[in-house]
Amino acid sequence: MSNSVSRREFMNLLGATFGTNALIQMGSALSLMPTTASAASLSLAAPIAGKGKVLVLGAGISGLTVAWELTKAGYDCTVLEASNRAGGRVMTVRSGDVVDEIGNNQVCEWDNEPHMYFNAGAARIPSTHRNLLGYCKELGVELEMFINESKTAYVQDDAMLGGARIRNGEMSTNVRGFLAELFAKCYTSAQLDQPFSDTESEKILGLISQFGDLNENMLYKGSSRAGYVSGGFLDHGIQKDMVAFKKLMESQMLGLSFTANEGETGPMLMQPVGGMDMVIKGFTRALGDKVVYKAPVTGITLKDDGVDVSFERDGVRQSISADYCFNCIPSHLMTGIPNNYPSDYFESMSSIKRGEAYKSAFQAKKRFWEDEDIYGGISWINAPIQQIWYPPHGIHKAKGVILAAYNFGGGMHFTKMSQAQRVEAALAQGEKLHPNYREMVEKPITIAWHRMNHMLGCSGRWGSGFGGWTDEIQTLFDRLQQPTPGGRHYFIGDQVSYHGAWQESAIASAHWALADMDLRARNMGV
Amino acid sequence: MKIILVWSAAVLICAFSAKGLAQAEDQYYNDRYCTTCHGVDGIGNEGVSAPRLAGMEPWYLQRQLESFRAGTRGTHKMDVQGSEMQPMAAKLSDDSIADIVAWVGSWEYKPAQITVKGDAEAGKSLYATCAACHGTQGEGNEAFAAPALAGQSDWYLKTQLENFKAGYRGRDPRDSFGSQMVAMASMLKDEAAIKNIVSYINTLGR
Ligand SMILES: Cc1cc2nc3c(=O)[nH]c(=O)nc-3n(C[C@H](O)[C@H](O)[C@H](O)COP(=O)(O)OP(=O)(O)OC[C@H]3O[C@@H](n4cnc5c(N)ncnc54)[C@H](O)[C@@H]3O)c2cc1C
Ligand code: HEC
Ligand code: HEC
Repeated sequence: MSNSVSRREFMNLLGATFGTNALIQMGSALSLMPTTASAASLSLAAPIAGKGKVLVLGAGISGLTVAWELTKAGYDCTVLEASNRAGGRVMTVRSGDVVDEIGNNQVCEWDNEPHMYFNAGAARIPSTHRNLLGYCKELGVELEMFINESKTAYVQDDAMLGGARIRNGEMSTNVRGFLAELFAKCYTSAQLDQPFSDTESEKILGLISQFGDLNENMLYKGSSRAGYVSGGFLDHGIQKDMVAFKKLMESQMLGLSFTANEGETGPMLMQPVGGMDMVIKGFTRALGDKVVYKAPVTGITLKDDGVDVSFERDGVRQSISADYCFNCIPSHLMTGIPNNYPSDYFESMSSIKRGEAYKSAFQAKKRFWEDEDIYGGISWINAPIQQIWYPPHGIHKAKGVILAAYNFGGGMHFTKMSQAQRVEAALAQGEKLHPNYREMVEKPITIAWHRMNHMLGCSGRWGSGFGGWTDEIQTLFDRLQQPTPGGRHYFIGDQVSYHGAWQESAIASAHWALADMDLRARNMGV
Repeated sequence: MKIILVWSAAVLICAFSAKGLAQAEDQYYNDRYCTTCHGVDGIGNEGVSAPRLAGMEPWYLQRQLESFRAGTRGTHKMDVQGSEMQPMAAKLSDDSIADIVAWVGSWEYKPAQITVKGDAEAGKSLYATCAACHGTQGEGNEAFAAPALAGQSDWYLKTQLENFKAGYRGRDPRDSFGSQMVAMASMLKDEAAIKNIVSYINTLGR
């Protein structure tokens, strides 16, 4: 199995013998299929004559992926999008844009400059999201690094240090110092399952000392890692005093520096230059007039050999027939659109819950954070706004757009507030991180995903809580991932993945559907 | 591409809610956003707990919009679904409400799908009291200000009865219509009784 041609032959044989599921499973194992492979490995056959008409419902990134791949393969694709813009939850707000929150429309009045934007939905691209990165490369989307962690950003919690903010680096240094001292005190090789030799023990203790910057007596007495009070270059640096762990302990956010920048949000992260929707613009540039805007789907009728879709455009109801249909309309909106789905398929769709994530942003009159040695990264606060993000782009320019809140939901805290209440909450909480905040920021934009038109949610939730995956849910999920009987309609998007709220998941779901459709079409062809 | 012309829209009356929007996007943003939640042509959408509006009596529709707008409905902090709708109506002008009532009135009545499973026979005897105001066929009666129940999304009827009973709807001193229902709903002793009566309503007007 050393070259891809023989792999593909093997895969075709496997697919023909055991069906697509085996193909996908095996495919991942051989790193040929969507979830682990790069997009290039998806090689779709040209359509069978007279069977090449495709309708894509929703211009989310999964829908655009399908339209682009099938266009390249020779299919005739049309994308129907309800909104006046493509991208769905990939949304960048800039000067002049209207935020289409139902009951709370807003117009963005920021300075019209390339770096003055806000990624209201997706904002970060992890290094391992190969398929998304593959499309960025293919579609000419320029990328730059995104900075998630800054040691000079702040952490604030009313329950800690009397509510005073502390630099992220100072906090983590002191927490690590305490933990290291504790490890060192507890360390006796006898207690371990596998006792270590003396030389090994010495190594381990050395590591513990490095981890926490302990002194020669294996005690933590403060560290230059936490920063200097003054000096350091032309004067002797005066190290900050250690902060006793007891003083930090009261905070809910102790573990932050060990969790926030690990795994998928660990370095290096990327962002497209000029806004996340540059990815979407890459697709829509390539697709041209195949994407039809302000065309909400109003009905879906499955037939034996295709799908009829009705939609509205300029107040007129129209209908189109196609051989294949790929649908990324959010499940909770799809349940309000007339359809003739089989009841088990509809039931699966109905079982997905929606989330309430919330973000907001201000235009900063001045990049005041740079005066405080902060260049990119996140400040954390134990308050509903949870985070403030400093833009890693536009460094040293006059102004910047600052993310003023990122609440993951699990409640309707901000969603329920009026615009004025949302703004006041952001200011009052932000002031705890930056005393001059209120004077420095202006022109708020708020995004309550639960109320955004044509979306009404931040991402599908299959389980009743995080990690609540049951056999019953598995059955519902499997049903929805499969096409409708006859193989003409696929439901796609991150809502049909095990890993919601990532563009990569939406793309992976699109690739899964494409591979399945391709296989079925090939089998029909023979 | 096969195109069938089915429906053509009435004149759009746009009432913009924020300054600057009038110039924005050739009248794309108006107050007719109801279908995102209430489904195509108001068929109702359980996915966002928004009931059927298609075929609703204009007088009842108008009063509910006014009562959401005034905050007499949908402001109790335990009224989860009502507080989804309340801010949607909060910003509507009288003109906008008139436009919406006319627009919603153009949607054809389609009874909602049946989802609640209960004992309709048991529900029938419970319904006797209700018929006085809501009609024997659940067709509603404007003279008593009581809306049609037949054909309404059954999961929604269930929530309303629970909300009246718990005091999440109909307890505002200004809500003289909703308050009539509080006593009625408290006669339904438990969830089973509510399911039964809703199952009976499901048999009406179909
Ligand atoms: C706050 C937030 C933060 C996120 N952060 C990240 C991140 O850092 N990195 C990352 O990779 N991902 C992130 N995501 C997730 C990412 O945005 C989504 O996973 C991805 O964009 C989903 O794409 P999708 O194809 O499933 O469709 P969606 O984006 O859900 O698109 C659905 C489309 O259907 C359209 N539609 C709705 N109704 C109709 C109708 N009746 N007719 C026609 N069209 C209709 C909608 O307008 C929309 O365009 C974030 C999401 C949110 C909300
Ligand atoms: C964000 C979603 C959403 C939007 C947008 C929305 N609604 Fe609602 N609406 C709801 C929900 C949820 C309920 C159910 C409230 C309850 O259970 O008490 C509801 C209830 C109603 C009711 C009460 C029905 C009854 O039988 O008493 C009316 C009337 C109504 N909506 C009309 C409208 C109109 C007209 C619009 C457009 C101007 C609209 N809604 C927009 C979510 C929405
Ligand atoms: C005295 C007259 C009266 C009686 C009897 C009565 N109702 Fe009502 N009902 C009303 C009125 C008036 C409203 C409208 C309330 C409003 O406008 O908010 C209403 C509203 C409702 C609603 C909410 C409808 C909607 O679309 O939101 C339900 C459900 C309901 N009634 C069920 C019942 C049931 C079941 C019974 C019998 C147990 C009953 N009613 C008995 C007068 C009555």
